[in-house]
Amino acid sequence: MITKIKNLAVASLALYAMMTGSMLNAQSGTAGGAYEADLQGYWYNPLYEDNRDRGEGPYIGDYLGLPLNEAAIQAAEAWDPTILSLEERQCNDYSADYAAHSIGSQAIWKEVDPFTNETIAWRLRLSWMGGQRTIWMDGRPHPPEGAPHTWLGFSTGEWVGPTLVVTTTHLKNTWLRRNGVPRSDKAYVVQYFTRLGNLLTIVDHIYDPVYLTEPLVRSSDYILDPAGKMATFICETVEEAPRDLGVVPHYLPGENTSLSEFFETFDVPMGIMHDGAATMYPEYLDKLEAIRND
Amino acid sequence: MKTLLSSSMRLFSACVFVSSSSMLFAQLPQDEPDLRTAREMAPVDLTGTWVSVISEDWRYRMVTPPAGELHGLPLNQLAEDVMNAWNPDADETSGLACKGYAAPNLMSLPGRARISWENDETLKIEYDYGEQTRLLHFDGSPPADAERSWQGYSLAQWIRQTTLARGIGFFGVGGGLGDLLGPLEITTTNLREGYLRKNGVPFSEDAVLKEYIVWRRDTVTGAEWFSLISTVEDPTYLRGLYIRSSEFRKETDDSMWSPRPCSVR
Repeated sequence: MITKIKNLAVASLALYAMMTGSMLNAQSGTAGGAYEADLQGYWYNPLYEDNRDRGEGPYIGDYLGLPLNEAAIQAAEAWDPTILSLEERQCNDYSADYAAHSIGSQAIWKEVDPFTNETIAWRLRLSWMGGQRTIWMDGRPHPPEGAPHTWLGFSTGEWVGPTLVVTTTHLKNTWLRRNGVPRSDKAYVVQYFTRLGNLLTIVDHIYDPVYLTEPLVRSSDYILDPAGKMATFICETVEEAPRDLGVVPHYLPGENTSLSEFFETFDVPMGIMHDGAATMYPEYLDKLEAIRND
Repeated sequence: MKTLLSSSMRLFSACVFVSSSSMLFAQLPQDEPDLRTAREMAPVDLTGTWVSVISEDWRYRMVTPPAGELHGLPLNQLAEDVMNAWNPDADETSGLACKGYAAPNLMSLPGRARISWENDETLKIEYDYGEQTRLLHFDGSPPADAERSWQGYSLAQWIRQTTLARGIGFFGVGGGLGDLLGPLEITTTNLREGYLRKNGVPFSEDAVLKEYIVWRRDTVTGAEWFSLISTVEDPTYLRGLYIRSSEFRKETDDSMWSPRPCSVR
């Protein structure tokens, strides 16, 4: 008797689950109950912030507003921009974190399970360099530590309130600013995607135990362009400058004569380039004022 | 057997009742006026002291940029002409040193924001850099005779986003349509003309500032942050929508609060 009651109860609950499940699908097209904003579309990048850094290129020696340690600054000072003309580097992709803070626009769409209607993944294609990212939403784990690292890394996401929170690991080393400020392949990134009407803001939190003293937090804004269309990006290498085989452009310590340009242009003392994270906070104004008054 | 069927039907009915009740409950806010105050409705607690972290546009925010520096701005020719005529000394002597601390630029400057509730319907943001105060009104509209000011008149609302709210049903599968109260939207008008950047980049009295405060918790460090996403429309000086976003991190106290008067330098 008890077994029969249990069986009927289970059957009732199963019927209830089927009913509520079908209601969920009918109401939203999304099972599971979590909020999901529609991030799909072509997102135009207006480049209003860090415009020079992202467009024509930052000043050599401008390391301000970044929480860099001494190793990062040494690496940046050794960086010679002509390294970008090496044929094997001309078509390097942009990394997932730098791409969000670079020059290109983005197209975003999603992959949906045809049976459950659940979002399996978000796909992002970058107009500059044409890289395509996948943000897995199906709960799969990140690969083991020894798995290959790529420019765009391995990303998983989840919705937290109105924001898609994306964690990316397995990134190749790259730059944080296109003047040689490095980011290591030990770094990982958490990005927060929030859509507000026709605006999309992506905030990066970059954690790098090799080169950063604290997380680097910065944001980029995009505007929805309903008529936008992603063009094909083709990168072909050419010999840009004759150079002996095996030469890698760089500066040895003390040899980089371009470092002063930024400081002369903006009338700030060159000594502050080693101040790292301190330069990001309002109290640094006191130091700037003291230096000027000396 | 009849008893058995009756029992299981009662159980099933109870399940349906719990399910539909939870859906009904979740749907209510969409159909009926919400009588809660803005403070009661707040989906996150924004009160406290927040420091702006200047990791972008450092040379335009931590120092006053050189005259004529206009990278990253959608200015029209008139704006460039006004900008090129910028005279900081004249601003200083004319009592206009706070033109660069107006609402469209204030919170991009290096400072700390102290946020508190002035009353149940008014959120107050004090900013130590420039010693400015902004009031965000959740009720009402600008008084007809209000004098223009650099902080203007700000209307605020918590943005509603329709969502599927989880219900109380068995196995966690119940639910229904509901509202997710999300970011804070602020619309500021009635502005006195000022600067979008401290080096004389102008905005006019016709400018409309729309901002969003989006709160988040750093999933690694646990720190609280918010993004202030700011858009400016100004038919007098801008060719299009100007958008930027500034990042603020919550501090444990306001011991670093450091008021500084307006300065053109």
